[in-house]
Amino acid sequence: MTISPERPRARRWPIVGEPVYEGSRIPHPIPTVLAVPDDVSDSEDIFRINFGPNHPSTHGVLRLIVDLDGEEVVGLSAVIGYLHTGFEKTMETKTYWKCVTYPERIDYVAYQANELVFVLAVEKLLALEVPEKATWMRMLLCELNRIHSHLVYLGTSALELGAISMFWYCFREREQILDLFELVAGQRMHTRYFQVGGLAEDIPEGFYPECRKFVEWMPQALDDYLAILDRNQIWLERTKGVGLLSARDAIALGQTGPNLRASGVDWDLRREQPYLAYEQVDFRVPVYPDGDVYARYRVRMDEMAESTRIARQCLDRLERMEGRPWIADDRKVVLPPREELHTSMESLIHHFKIVTEGFRVPEGEVYVAVESPRGESGCYLVSDGGPKPWRVHFRAPSFVALEATPTCAQNCLVADLIAVVGSLDAVMGDTDR
Amino acid sequence: MSASWEDAPGFVSIREAHGETTVTIETERIRDACLFARDELGFEMCVDLVATDYLGWGAQGVSGYIGTAGGRDLHSPMTQGLQTLPEAKPKRFSISYHLLALRQEALRVRLQCWADDGEPVPSVVSVWPTCDWHEREQYDLMGIAFEGHPNLSRILLEDDWAGHPLRKDYPIGGEPVRFSDAE
Amino acid sequence: MAARLRDYGLQSERLLWPTKGPSRFEEEMGVDELERALGLTTLEKAVRWAQTKSMWPDTFGLACCAIEMMSIVSARYDIARFGMEAFRSSPRQADLLIVSGRVAHKMAAPLRQIYDQMVEPKWVIAMGACASSGGMFNNYTILQGVDRIVPVDIYVPFCPPRPEALMEGILRIHEAHLAGIPPAYERRSVAT
Repeated sequence: MTISPERPRARRWPIVGEPVYEGSRIPHPIPTVLAVPDDVSDSEDIFRINFGPNHPSTHGVLRLIVDLDGEEVVGLSAVIGYLHTGFEKTMETKTYWKCVTYPERIDYVAYQANELVFVLAVEKLLALEVPEKATWMRMLLCELNRIHSHLVYLGTSALELGAISMFWYCFREREQILDLFELVAGQRMHTRYFQVGGLAEDIPEGFYPECRKFVEWMPQALDDYLAILDRNQIWLERTKGVGLLSARDAIALGQTGPNLRASGVDWDLRREQPYLAYEQVDFRVPVYPDGDVYARYRVRMDEMAESTRIARQCLDRLERMEGRPWIADDRKVVLPPREELHTSMESLIHHFKIVTEGFRVPEGEVYVAVESPRGESGCYLVSDGGPKPWRVHFRAPSFVALEATPTCAQNCLVADLIAVVGSLDAVMGDTDR
Repeated sequence: MSASWEDAPGFVSIREAHGETTVTIETERIRDACLFARDELGFEMCVDLVATDYLGWGAQGVSGYIGTAGGRDLHSPMTQGLQTLPEAKPKRFSISYHLLALRQEALRVRLQCWADDGEPVPSVVSVWPTCDWHEREQYDLMGIAFEGHPNLSRILLEDDWAGHPLRKDYPIGGEPVRFSDAE
Repeated sequence: MAARLRDYGLQSERLLWPTKGPSRFEEEMGVDELERALGLTTLEKAVRWAQTKSMWPDTFGLACCAIEMMSIVSARYDIARFGMEAFRSSPRQADLLIVSGRVAHKMAAPLRQIYDQMVEPKWVIAMGACASSGGMFNNYTILQGVDRIVPVDIYVPFCPPRPEALMEGILRIHEAHLAGIPPAYERRSVAT
């Protein structure tokens, strides 16, 4: 039995208005709403269905209002905001040291990326130099978090498409990663381990052997996943040729990360605009040209393998850095070690001032972007010279990914819509902030 | 790229800080400037659109410990613990467009325009479709009216929400907690 | 033997036929062993036991706590041991509503609607700090505790709670129900 080719469907109704460029599949006039023209919706048998905020697809509280003609999706608009938490406003009322606990809850699956981007933004405004050990450890934890995020994506996407056992396999590895996080920071998720200036605490003993065990095991687990899914006829039929997004459309829609790389655009911030120490590690950036759900799945699978490679290189480097400092030495910004509080009056005063009043960040505005597992995660920070941020804005890759849903969901059946929404890998905390 | 920022329609000034370029554009010409940036200078992607409310900026001076890597510096009054006032801003709201050029060396720029409360800002949805939701979000949270937006409605809050929460004169809300001050 | 059975309200054929000797079954089992071999209970207790052992949760994952809720379904913190791996998508088929995550103002109405659509008996767990009390968010959009709109049985603290903590909360609901304590909607209304 052969894989069926891309299901060709003639466009039945003319597009209204002007496309943003010739040949674009982005709906217009409203790019984020796939609309049935008014004169058609009255005459044809269009069924409007609501994929309400609470639905079994485990993507959180996303609401899709879908117009169906039989089984085919002819109209789509997404309603978000069911998890709007007011992060940006809340962070304006907290000092920078207290603010660090907030960004990680924005994208709650790839929490280290959000922590990292906020901490990097503050350090950029402060022009603070971070010790090498902290940089490499941040990189290691971010890559482990990338594997964690892709595992959650894979487990839940496969679960929705019916490959239920993948959920348990992916979560088996996920538990190992969470054990590593717990070993390092004491918490499975939302570790609050990154601080302005470096890491909150030193890397505990016994972490490197455990991490190495995981890194040696992971390629085998990836082979298991490929064996389950990649030769499975049902999986291939349901994901190939579904949810197409061309490269130019993806750029026009602001897509970044795996969604962009699966459309054939070779762009990865870790390579183009290296932050932390990414220019010193060797890794490949997977790019697939098809732009369908299968391509996005393969990009994430390959990224997991590359993250394992990066993690191995970080471990090799970190094991040689025993005893080095893990946080910057600037006592005006960084809390002094607790032992010093008993003996040094200056340390006590510094500690007191930093905790109560907060350290001041010079006036200015910065935008820092990192490659989170979902795409480009950015933090725009405006400081007025005071101890609390004046304006913090997080560029959420999931917010932008959901903007592409109507473009990808053209010529889709209802069942394909689930695959498409899953493949865009949007986390609602990140979307709604 | 033969064109440069000075040729952009509505160009006002250009500033470099922290390794980033910020180009200020007149508000009425921002859409033309964005088209110029996309077509002439090759900034194909708009990654972010942020509005900032500067109400109350500089109302109280800041003083005390200033965290800088260099420590205290005689020539930088902020590090001496003296009270300083941040420089005044031209209008109440700034709207920043963060652009990215997908070239070998990742080129980023921030286009910035300034608006007062109620002043309409041209929408750039026809330049980069991704700005659709970004502009809706800034309208929802900050109350910036984007002119020419095909679907300017609330996105993160309920449709009948009153007010724009991220403005500085909107209270943080929540419930009062005893024995703690504003935070 | 006949007297003891009558104490429990059970009719035996011996009441109708007092002179009948022990049956073949009773001879083989032994009179005392029969009582040990039989489980005697009331209907309510039996029903409560069955409800406890198959209390199906509703898929109501909101935020970060939802990820930890998913990990109690995973193989390490297996919740299928308690018969609860069947997360029902329809609230009409669900017994337990685990509100996992921060409840935004926009989501409050759907939450209450889902709670109303559940059929009695139903229990609510406020999982995590945000669902219990608003957590670290005290602002214009987050409900300061989900008990403002639904009556809550168990509050599970921490941010996010470990899977074992959530399981402890679930087991406490099981124990409370087995002991005869009614669900929260009968005991209290929502907090004001």
